[in-house]
Amino acid sequence: MPPKFDLNDSSVVVVIGSGAGGGTLANELAQKGISSVVLEAGKRLEISDFKNDEDAMFGLFTWFDPRTTSGSWYVAKTSPDLPAWTCKLVGGTTVHWGACALRMKEYEFKPLTRYGTISGANLLDWPIDLHEMEPYYDRAELKMGVTGTHGIPRLPASNHGKVLFAGAKKIGYSQFETTNMAINPVPRDGRASCQQTGFCVQGCTFGAKWSTLYTEIPKAEATGKSEIRPESQVLHIEHDASGKVTGVVYSDSKGAVQRQKARIVAVAANSIESPRLLLNSSSSKFPQGLANSSGQVGKNYMRHMTSTVFAIFDKPVHMYRGTAQSGIVMDEARLDTKRGFVGGYQMELLPQGLPSFAQNIVPGAWGRDRASIVDNYSNIAGVWLVGEDLPRDTNRITLHPSRKDKFGLPIPNVHVDDHPNDLAMQKHAIGQADALYKSIGAKRTVHRQPFPSTHNMGTNRMSEKPRDGVVNRYGQTHDIPNLFVSDGSQFTSSSGENPTLTIVALAIRQAEFIADQMSKRAV
Amino acid sequence: MKVLNWTRRFSRRGFLSGGAATVAAVVATGGTMLEEAQAVPVNGSQSAQTERARTLVKFARDLFPHDRLDDSFYARAIVPLQEEAAKNPSTRRLLYSGIDQLNRLAVAAAGKPYADVADETTRVAIIKKIETGAFFKKVYDDAIVGLYDQPEVWSKFGYEGPSSAKGGYLHRGFSDINWLPKS
Repeated sequence: MPPKFDLNDSSVVVVIGSGAGGGTLANELAQKGISSVVLEAGKRLEISDFKNDEDAMFGLFTWFDPRTTSGSWYVAKTSPDLPAWTCKLVGGTTVHWGACALRMKEYEFKPLTRYGTISGANLLDWPIDLHEMEPYYDRAELKMGVTGTHGIPRLPASNHGKVLFAGAKKIGYSQFETTNMAINPVPRDGRASCQQTGFCVQGCTFGAKWSTLYTEIPKAEATGKSEIRPESQVLHIEHDASGKVTGVVYSDSKGAVQRQKARIVAVAANSIESPRLLLNSSSSKFPQGLANSSGQVGKNYMRHMTSTVFAIFDKPVHMYRGTAQSGIVMDEARLDTKRGFVGGYQMELLPQGLPSFAQNIVPGAWGRDRASIVDNYSNIAGVWLVGEDLPRDTNRITLHPSRKDKFGLPIPNVHVDDHPNDLAMQKHAIGQADALYKSIGAKRTVHRQPFPSTHNMGTNRMSEKPRDGVVNRYGQTHDIPNLFVSDGSQFTSSSGENPTLTIVALAIRQAEFIADQMSKRAV
Repeated sequence: MKVLNWTRRFSRRGFLSGGAATVAAVVATGGTMLEEAQAVPVNGSQSAQTERARTLVKFARDLFPHDRLDDSFYARAIVPLQEEAAKNPSTRRLLYSGIDQLNRLAVAAAGKPYADVADETTRVAIIKKIETGAFFKKVYDDAIVGLYDQPEVWSKFGYEGPSSAKGGYLHRGFSDINWLPKS
């Protein structure tokens, strides 16, 4: 039975957010006998609530709290009030993610060393490296059931994947396959196998895709050591005169303001809300916000270089049939500055259903040309280009000077100016995707600029030295020993890989550290 | 650069589940504006209302011209817009004045109302004159959702849609492609 902890129980770890970081951390702690209260802003849905309906699910689980945007990035122009597509429900964005589970590469942990100083970028090496992360990647892959790892078979290739692979082979690529995915190819861990439903990002109706909603969270609850409180949005983190955090103030499911005491607070609210919460928790002792002596909270926001190339063929593809992201080309995910940029990118399948595709393929366009693209819907293949974007001081989350949310707290503004390196990589990636599809007979390609960001990283970054970042090698804030960051906002660089596997691996590692520190009474 | 109303997208599609009877009525009466049925004070006769609906259907088709779709799909696409106009005077004013402007431009260009201009190129030239205005944006934003959210439209484009209740696409062609070059 899930336990109920008292609001005044100051022995618990309060985890803010229940996605890849928070949900995993709570379960890892629970398995070690450490009690936690997970405060989740969104509702608790069940798999039976999921629908194979793009717009309905978008409406049901998206984080719609007000946000503003600024800067020269495309998303600020086309989606100024929704810079990111992340989720507000138990399980967080793991309900929505495409399940592409890739390890970061060795060089990507050391961008400053490997790329050198780059003008206009705020590069920094992670204080950890791939070698140190490998055992945690192993454990994350086993936990999530990642295909192509640890003897777990790969998923079969879909039509959409076969088109990608044929083009990749034709233009001389060699590293392509059905992606390492946290989707069961066979029943595993009490969950069903993939039925090639195709609506992965609307919530897997078979539960074949790993999501904390129906893996980590119920497992944590089953230990009797973790209580999840849905519809509980944290407003402030509180601290005592010594500077240690003492608990959080949150709005509960009835709209009443509550105070939950805590021994440790772990922030895992995704890379916009996590820094916003630290900034909104400013006090007379910490006037710049919690854990912000470096001034780095909110800075270095990264969302990946992206673009999507759709190719029109004269024969059917039916890109929507089957596992959404089940194909990848990895040849460009390498460090090779001869291409005109640092960092690398992956080429990943990303199909869209007819409604999403038709509504967004050429924003604002009308008439025969746009319609002719939609007319070819069943003959279209598409690849999402996702690569490392560089951290910048000025790409950051700030508190809006005047606009407040329904709790009276300043809303976040998301500012991004694309770095020239991001744009050079994007141009290269689009060119390669064009060539790939044209090599096997595409009649035309259509370039779709970035959508609202689902990969959000870097706003409480990890650093060796306190002056360079917000958290240390374990996600523990440099300033406050019992305050942790447990989501992708820890990322020192974005890498060319989808962030979730790394977030989960870091959470597993962080749980070990927290248990060790608690046993030593260091926190 | 147009702004995509991501946050409003999903909210405009309630008619798909709740308004089927209304849609059928609109289509059956040749696209009469909904105001009459809802006894909202309007300007003009029923024939004027029908004429406005006819213009909107033509306009929606010109924005998203798919020859494979007959007018009933465009009539459905503008139902949410008509419903909003019936309830909201400012939307009604925006629609009426926009339709009037389309017709004025059509009379000037071709001597007849917009919906009666047979030449598509002429109609496209008329739209170009108003494409930065509020009327265009309103109809565009609503109709693009209303059109492509119709399951009956999906099948016209070969999109098979929800698969979960049918056991996914595992046994329904997820891997049946046969035209790729042999390696």
